[in-house]
Amino acid sequence: MSPAALANVNEALERLLRKYEVSVDRPWRLLGEPQPSDRGPAGALQLVPGWAEAEADLPETTVPLRPWRAERRFLELRRLVEDETIVPVLMCRFACLTDGESFSLDAALYREFDLVAWLAGAPITRVYATITAGRAANVVLRLANDVLCSVEVATTLPPGTPMQDRHELIARRGVASDRVVDTQVTQSSVYVWSDGETRQFTDTDAELFGLSPLEVSLVRSAYQALSKPEHHGEMRRQHARLRQLVALAYESDRRQQRLDVPGGPP
Amino acid sequence: MKPLKIAMLSLTHGHTRKYFRTLEESPQLDWVAASAADDVVEERFRQAVKGVPCYRDEEEMFDRHPEIEAVVLASDNSEHLRQMKACVERGIHILSMKIPTFDLDEYDQMIELVERAGLVCQIELELHYNPVVHRVKKLVADGAVGRILSIQATNITLSPVWAFPWQGVPELSYGRRVPLADGDGRFRGGALCDHPHVFDLIRWLTGSDFEQIHAEVAPNLRPDLEVEDLLLVNGKMADGCTFLLDPSWSRLEERLPVPGPGWEVFPKRMEVNLTIGGERGTLLADCFGPNVYHNGAPRDRYTVHYTYFDEWIGLIDEFVACVRTGRTPRINLRWHRRTIEAMNACYESIAAGQPVVLKNETPGCETKRTGDLVQ
Repeated sequence: MSPAALANVNEALERLLRKYEVSVDRPWRLLGEPQPSDRGPAGALQLVPGWAEAEADLPETTVPLRPWRAERRFLELRRLVEDETIVPVLMCRFACLTDGESFSLDAALYREFDLVAWLAGAPITRVYATITAGRAANVVLRLANDVLCSVEVATTLPPGTPMQDRHELIARRGVASDRVVDTQVTQSSVYVWSDGETRQFTDTDAELFGLSPLEVSLVRSAYQALSKPEHHGEMRRQHARLRQLVALAYESDRRQQRLDVPGGPP
Repeated sequence: MKPLKIAMLSLTHGHTRKYFRTLEESPQLDWVAASAADDVVEERFRQAVKGVPCYRDEEEMFDRHPEIEAVVLASDNSEHLRQMKACVERGIHILSMKIPTFDLDEYDQMIELVERAGLVCQIELELHYNPVVHRVKKLVADGAVGRILSIQATNITLSPVWAFPWQGVPELSYGRRVPLADGDGRFRGGALCDHPHVFDLIRWLTGSDFEQIHAEVAPNLRPDLEVEDLLLVNGKMADGCTFLLDPSWSRLEERLPVPGPGWEVFPKRMEVNLTIGGERGTLLADCFGPNVYHNGAPRDRYTVHYTYFDEWIGLIDEFVACVRTGRTPRINLRWHRRTIEAMNACYESIAAGQPVVLKNETPGCETKRTGDLVQ
């Protein structure tokens, strides 16, 4: 994230806090990826993208964010599960392809592992992963509620290509997905063909209009984190677990074994 | 900014439930009271909302809550003028539903009433606060497609009449019982009355106004309705832009008394799509997509589950700001009059079997605005 973009998201967050009259009792700074050298004043709360924090154990001044949890499509998929519109979930098929620049393989695993557990409603208990050249991973997971999941992750898209992902939840009653039936790629809200080029836009948040989808979710998740400081400890614990799961995927690949998550469900 | 003390009237409009969450959650609003049109509406309100007093008599509500500064006029179209008069007498600002009235004499009375009283009357056209529409406006204003030559737009939905019966009663939705055409057993007041958005958007996007309108109805998808449910509209704007609009209720629904899951028969219950052709290119937009999709409960049909629903936040932001600062809302009564004229012209065209030419000379309803959208 460029310094200008970082300044933009911090301003947007400040604006939201002001509008909804959320007071924060200490200085804070929303940090992007890669992490900027200026991490705010000493003692400031650092709101960081969780996937960008390599360390599992984070100090109390660091709040790891999982911005996808603030994305409308994931919130609505989760609602479909919670409201038992689809029930019971038996299997998940998730995919995340990136160009490797904005989102590394580890970052994509971190994201998808979190989404699987959050959307299907139970922690991951077992992992079997095959990883090739540090650029592609195919993972089969088992959750504590016996849901079976596949996670396809790769960083093989050409530089500059937008992320392509898919999240499908299969239940005995109904299937839910963030991809429309009979399509393979992410749809956009707006397509423009002009001057020899095609442009696409998807804007989902009028209050944060002008920010990219990733920036919007980063700001929304940071806003939620600042609104609920009592959740920070749990957010750090979940970050540590996700780091453990990503490491376990690599270990599974190395050992060519399906591995139980140490310690069982949290 | 001090929260605006607000009330809701009647609670019979199709958008009523969408306001509940906004009025409960917005820190800019203090939801003081509501008045319900009848027993059934009151009971539904009490199930959905806790802690807000609900009255059956508007006058009683106003008398008991002199602190009310503004109302959401969530009522049948036929109630709007009467309720506006009551609000004006008490100096209460008004957030009106999308059709203040189709009767232009009544409409002009409304303009006079609120302007003389110095009150804010904002028309609820929530698409203006939709992020995709923001993007489309910006692209058009930036010249992404050049001068606009054509616009095609859908504003197609299921029919809300089973949950909101007044929308199928000509007197309550159109204001009186007017046959669609000689020999046609149906009356004005159906799908067209429910879908002003695209008529408004095309004016914003082109910076021009309707010049020629032609409309035709198809046989009804729901033969038991006495109002139209399928129609197509085409014509030209004063700047030469050709347009084709579909404001139909062309998506079938389960006839639920209360909207909720399983309402849809067709997977997507509401669509506003735009195609804009310009001298330099073409733009396609889906104002409510992409979404998420499922075929789960309650009817196991493939269904679009919406992820777009925050239009009411921006709408309320503007309304509160206008009340507090005295600013005129973008969609005010004067601006909106020409949209209503164009919709009436559709009915005239249906009756006449020919296009209708509109005169663009209503004083005070200028087309060109100091905005960023006019090319």
